[in-house]
Amino acid sequence: MQKIPLLLAREGMTLARDVFRGNASTGMPICGKGHELTTSLIERFDKLEVQAVYVEGHPVWEEGGASLDNLLCALDGRFIKTMHNPQNAMLHTIYKAYLIKSMGGDCDRQAE
Amino acid sequence: MTDKRSKLKKIILDTKTLPTLPSVIHKLNSLSDNERSSVREMARIVSSDQVLSARILRLANSPSYGFHKVSTISNAMILLGVNVVKSLALSSSIFAIMEKESVGLWEHSLAVGVAANLIARKLGLQECEEIATAGLLHDIGKVIIALKCNEAEKSILNLVNERQMYCIEAEREIIDTDHAEIGGWLSKNWFLPDKLSEPIAFHHNVAQSVHHCLKTSVVHIADVIVKASGFGCSGDCFVPQIEDIAWNTLQLNEKMLAELVDEIEDKLIEVKNFSLEMMGD
Repeated sequence: MQKIPLLLAREGMTLARDVFRGNASTGMPICGKGHELTTSLIERFDKLEVQAVYVEGHPVWEEGGASLDNLLCALDGRFIKTMHNPQNAMLHTIYKAYLIKSMGGDCDRQAE
Repeated sequence: MTDKRSKLKKIILDTKTLPTLPSVIHKLNSLSDNERSSVREMARIVSSDQVLSARILRLANSPSYGFHKVSTISNAMILLGVNVVKSLALSSSIFAIMEKESVGLWEHSLAVGVAANLIARKLGLQECEEIATAGLLHDIGKVIIALKCNEAEKSILNLVNERQMYCIEAEREIIDTDHAEIGGWLSKNWFLPDKLSEPIAFHHNVAQSVHHCLKTSVVHIADVIVKASGFGCSGDCFVPQIEDIAWNTLQLNEKMLAELVDEIEDKLIEVKNFSLEMMGD
């Protein structure tokens, strides 16, 4: 599952979570999970000010195709100067867990 | 102050070459100093410049403040406060340059605005909108370096790449000052209140923030988290060291930090959306 900006949503992607009006995460869903996105559905979401959607798999990749390994490696690189500081080391651990969770079990595409 | 620095300060603050400040700003400055002037009166002056109004409203509806829908300048003044609207007006010409020329820095700045707002709300602080504005403006000195000292900026970025150093270290080596100090000069020159100028000037050295340590701490931590996320680009890719004074002032702990990371990451999607839309315009 991946959360993507609506601007990057494309026809054929499958919703992994219900979509709500605006940016709400509760209330009456305007589209249920499991639905396949179509151009008209994406346009409708846009009119209803939906900012982001959760889709199945991990269809959107940053330039360079980042696998979890690549993401973790980049994270280590960013912290290379400050790992000696306990609070920075704590933030590193939190981000590492966040990345693993956000890629959670669906690393169905490795770096190309 | 060394010769090099004072010369640079003179160049940077030379208003003839600073991004033009609309004349409405001068009127607004004199009005906001006068306690008797009404918000309505100030809103009327800003609204008389349509381009400026459009830019302010666009920023007011950016994810940095995205908790309200703002449709008029009067609303922006009431919801975000006169200081925020004034700062957005002042910096609107600088943002115009950032959006097009340095997208990475623009995204970093927007993200720090968002993060500062979320941190301030989570800690139940007052004046969240002003803290968000300080976050949005914290690296404004970098845009000025790019504008006024184009050659020096190239040398700074080369040094960052060659020696894998922080941008702020490279700046000190090349121009004998840094973006935080330059941002401080600029905000003083624009008569921004201390609650905005201190976080801009001291986000890399929180202890120097005498009157607004709390706000400066928020911007410092917001900057650190956004650097940790790898979102946007502010010149180097290294996470700054979390300063003890900021950590203790905000009384942070592991649980709060983890919650903040989740909330900020969730909101960064909106920042990306906003930035993509701006670039598409």
